[in-house]
Amino acid sequence: MQISDRISGGGLAALGLVAFIYGSKLPPVRGQPVGPEVFPMVVGAGLMIFGVLIALGIGRSFEGANEVVAAEDGTTVEEKSAPFDLLTAFKVALPPALLLFYVFFSERIGFIPTAFVIVSSMCLALGARWKAALLMGLFAPPVIHLIFAKMLRVPLPAGLLPMPW
Amino acid sequence: MLDTLFEGFRLVFQTDVLIAIIGASIYGLVVGSLPGLSATMATALLVPVTFYMSPIAAVATIIAASAMAIFSGDIPGCLLRIPGTPASAAYTDEAFAMTKKGEAETALGICLWFSALGGIIGTISLIVMAPLLAEMAFKFSTFEYFWLAFLGLMCATLVARSSPPKAIAAMFLGLLVSCVGIENPAGTPRFTFGMTDLLGGIEVIPVLVGVFAVAEIMRGMALKDPPKIPHRKFGSILKGQWELTKTHKPQQVRGNIVGIIIGVLPGAGADMAAWVSYAMAKRFSKTPEKFGTGHPEGLIEAGASNNASLASGWVPSLLFGIPGDTITAIAIGVLYMKGLNPGPTLFTEKASSMYALYIIFIIANIIMIPLGIMMIRASSTVLRLPRYTVMSVIVLLCAVGSFATGNNLFLVVLVAIFGVIGYVMEKNGYPVAALVLGVVMGTMVEQSFVTSLIKSDGSIIPFFSRPVAAVLAAMTFAALLWPAVVWLMKKRRAALEPAAR
Repeated sequence: MQISDRISGGGLAALGLVAFIYGSKLPPVRGQPVGPEVFPMVVGAGLMIFGVLIALGIGRSFEGANEVVAAEDGTTVEEKSAPFDLLTAFKVALPPALLLFYVFFSERIGFIPTAFVIVSSMCLALGARWKAALLMGLFAPPVIHLIFAKMLRVPLPAGLLPMPW
Repeated sequence: MLDTLFEGFRLVFQTDVLIAIIGASIYGLVVGSLPGLSATMATALLVPVTFYMSPIAAVATIIAASAMAIFSGDIPGCLLRIPGTPASAAYTDEAFAMTKKGEAETALGICLWFSALGGIIGTISLIVMAPLLAEMAFKFSTFEYFWLAFLGLMCATLVARSSPPKAIAAMFLGLLVSCVGIENPAGTPRFTFGMTDLLGGIEVIPVLVGVFAVAEIMRGMALKDPPKIPHRKFGSILKGQWELTKTHKPQQVRGNIVGIIIGVLPGAGADMAAWVSYAMAKRFSKTPEKFGTGHPEGLIEAGASNNASLASGWVPSLLFGIPGDTITAIAIGVLYMKGLNPGPTLFTEKASSMYALYIIFIIANIIMIPLGIMMIRASSTVLRLPRYTVMSVIVLLCAVGSFATGNNLFLVVLVAIFGVIGYVMEKNGYPVAALVLGVVMGTMVEQSFVTSLIKSDGSIIPFFSRPVAAVLAAMTFAALLWPAVVWLMKKRRAALEPAAR
């Protein structure tokens, strides 16, 4: 997901402009010099300025100078050398996609089946064997359900497969 | 004073608090030791659970888990040359070199022993500094708070070790996120686009879970499995540590002081402390050529430093609500949730809670030694767990945990969105810590800014005419201009160099 600085900076500047205009249209508070419109305008202006600076490539020297820091989590070095193919892109997109799956399906089919899909597909994407993925999907969700629904009293949807507790 | 201290002890020695400390410690040790899962992420995932605890137990959970995770990150660094958390990355090579020389026990012992000592010294700094600063903070008005918050934001962008414009833009993006909703001085709905879910604003917790947990998992998806760790039997872990303590006094003093200072600076935390301290150890060493070959000096200094920074990071958090690092950014959220709103009054009205907090810090750092030894001995088993067992459950926890904080599925959507934002930002050199700081502090910055302007009738003169405010303003502008100065100096030096040749 490497985007050129021109695009990311330009995008931020555009976002700043939108925030500035949106802010300026907010109704002021009568009898007060400043109201809810000021802060979004200040922030929008800031985003515009620094978005343009990024797009112009200012400050890039600081990124290059800190080569050591690129390895801050110790793995970035390897990450860069790994080719970013379609399969990797799919794998990277999987966690947020599974979260959205939870949003759309947990209330329809219940917590346990949804959680089964999430855990098993994560396991498979990370290279687990079919059997291991199925076992993880069968055993992890009831444990999580026990902790959150029973002990912490979070109303998790029962759906198709209510738990006995 | 003595009564409050006893009350503090009474608050800590409750069954639920003690269970919370032990449970969070084990959790922190395990998650911290797994490569790719950071201490910040371990802490962020705990927040939904703290929702259901008493205030002191909640704070104890955060303190214990984060301290253990920072130490535990050293274990895979020593044994596999893969840091468990970013805070261990600075000295991973050094520790692994010691393991290769057959001194794994000494290396792990140094990490454990000096982490615990650093943590205790950091706690003492918190105990000494916080009440002194609280006295001062009582005299602050909204003008000073505005500059303080602004300075905090600037510091965080300065230390971000990336392009300053990118760091500042990330911070502004965070401030923009904090604008969403009706939580503003006039109660006007802003950036809600007619969605009722957005009226209450974007909470800090889904943002944190998104950018720290989901984004980290996304990064982990593209990585290969780490090499399998060989089974090994460990000898005595603490053997020889007392001698090292006596022979390496300057390294410890420097490491602790640097850690404390970096912890107090807003936005800079354990990772930064470790990097700076390791570099300092090398610079002041009599035998710098031994660094990188398995030399204990740097390990002692940096290992002490990252744990010392943890406690001192709580100083600005407790006093001003300005997080000292990403972990305290999470802690501030928990404090507000539990009615322990940060501010100088915390030290007068809730003094016993503050004592309880200090006691928890000390306990956590003491039990770190026995629990840490157990973790080291168990490490060959824990680190053999396939990655998918933990990572798949974490995705599920992100969903359930964020849902639990408001019983609202929209929170899960936010987590997914901020996961993607965090991933894209990190890949393109935008520091996510700056974004988080903007979100955490946005409301405070706006409130102090707008209230000050209303007080002064729209004039900006009082922002500069009050003495303390003027000093803080000068510091803020210095922080703002500093990158430009560095850049100019670099350019001049580059221009002079060819001329000299």
